[in-house]
Amino acid sequence: MADKFDVIVIGAGPGGYVAAIRAAQLGLKTACVEKWIGKEGKVVFGGTCLNVGCIPSKALLEASHKFVEAKHDFADMGIQAGDVSMDVKKMMARKDTIVKNLTGGIAGLFKANGVTGIEGTGKVVGAKQVEVTDQDGKATTYEADNIVIAAGSVPVEIPPTPLTEGLIVDSTGALEFQEVPKRLGVIGAGVIGLELGSVWSRLGSEVTVLEAMDSFLPMVDSAIAKETQKLLKKQGLDIKLGARVTGSEVKGQEVVVKYTDSDGEQEMTFDKLIVCVGRRPYTRGVVADGVGVGLDERGFIHVDDQCRTSVPGVYAIGDCVRGQMLAHKASEEGIMVADIIAGHKAEMNYDAIPCVIYTFPEVAWVGMTEQDAKAKGIEVKTGSFPFAASGRAMANNATEGQAKIIADAETDRILGMHIVGQHAGEMIAQGVIALEFGSSAEDLALTCYAHPTMSEAVHEAALAVEGHAIHMANRKKRK
Amino acid sequence: YGRIPASPAVRRLVREHGLSLEAIAGSGKQGRVLKEDVLRHLEQGGEAT
Repeated sequence: MADKFDVIVIGAGPGGYVAAIRAAQLGLKTACVEKWIGKEGKVVFGGTCLNVGCIPSKALLEASHKFVEAKHDFADMGIQAGDVSMDVKKMMARKDTIVKNLTGGIAGLFKANGVTGIEGTGKVVGAKQVEVTDQDGKATTYEADNIVIAAGSVPVEIPPTPLTEGLIVDSTGALEFQEVPKRLGVIGAGVIGLELGSVWSRLGSEVTVLEAMDSFLPMVDSAIAKETQKLLKKQGLDIKLGARVTGSEVKGQEVVVKYTDSDGEQEMTFDKLIVCVGRRPYTRGVVADGVGVGLDERGFIHVDDQCRTSVPGVYAIGDCVRGQMLAHKASEEGIMVADIIAGHKAEMNYDAIPCVIYTFPEVAWVGMTEQDAKAKGIEVKTGSFPFAASGRAMANNATEGQAKIIADAETDRILGMHIVGQHAGEMIAQGVIALEFGSSAEDLALTCYAHPTMSEAVHEAALAVEGHAIHMANRKKRK
Repeated sequence: YGRIPASPAVRRLVREHGLSLEAIAGSGKQGRVLKEDVLRHLEQGGEAT
């Protein structure tokens, strides 16, 4: 029998590695099991986010944005950059270096905190037993008083567009193109599709995004979603809503995609096709039959508000359970679970989890949309402020977008904040803090904001809730 | 949404001591319970509810 632990975490993504570090900090003897094989053929920590998700996509978004700025915006500022070009292979190599540094960093953090990293595929085989199968197929069983399943998620595949080697790809493949595809098709106008579409569009691809739903970014406040759609269209993303993909045909180095829209059957030809219609929990084979950990019909592990499964001492967190599939959601659940195991009464606030789309401008939001609040029968008042009226935005050459605050009409409590604009992902932290503290719109209105900053738009939006914005003409409130 | 407005640290303190926000006199804006209110409540032998 191998070592016995207080906690064994299965998976070293943002949920698992954070849970493991926290548990170790709280004095628990902790192990973390990971099977992900990195580019150098060795097991790497960090999961989807670090290896093929958040971090590599942001590295490409930043590089491609700087390229676009140099090509199209520098001249307006008097900068003569000459003929700017992009070395795609070098851009990719930089991304790979960042990934390597960060995954190595987690191994360092494990060591510093005394977390035992175990390489192999983990499986819960009993209420207190985890079996780990290594790369050679050798299985070892470990005992643990507590087990945290953080197995993550994988891209959803759809029957009309089966993946091929390098032609029809998922998000992982789209982060690995070694040259700019001339015509790029993207299936799915969600966060991942818009980000990957942006990267390659900026580098010269003609990008078409096919989205089956009729509404664009339905989880975002409709005023913000509408403006975002307009801005992305202006950048060259051809977003087709209500376009249902029905089939595809690979012809040599091209792929022909068939879809139906309101005008009937359509067909388009691409040099590359990215399928990003969603992600699904990766839970098959993670728990042995008979252990008693329940899955729902979509494959998510069934948990309560504090991530307890139906088996005492077994928890599940992150993308493999209900809730938003976001790295920071997984990490916070990891901390909550480690705290609970250590004897604390931990819980987390699912109402204040921010979301960010790293397009340019960025889209970020937290809490309710105006349409959500209305659907719940809550009477709201709103305030918004356009970056076109922001001095800092003008200086930054980033006047697109707006900030919007939704507050309860009766109590003035902030219910949601939605921003499209440069650095929206940074600014939304203000909305998260406001929600966490149960802040009123007046609280933000009475707060001193540095000038000139982009965040002043949040201040003005808070003032605008009562019709008292200083730097724009306030709309008369209809009664 | 729906719960009594209080900061994350206050909510945690209240939870760990098995208290209820309603039972503590708040000195903050509009009767909001502050961390110092919870600490004072505990110092004065505030009972778990």
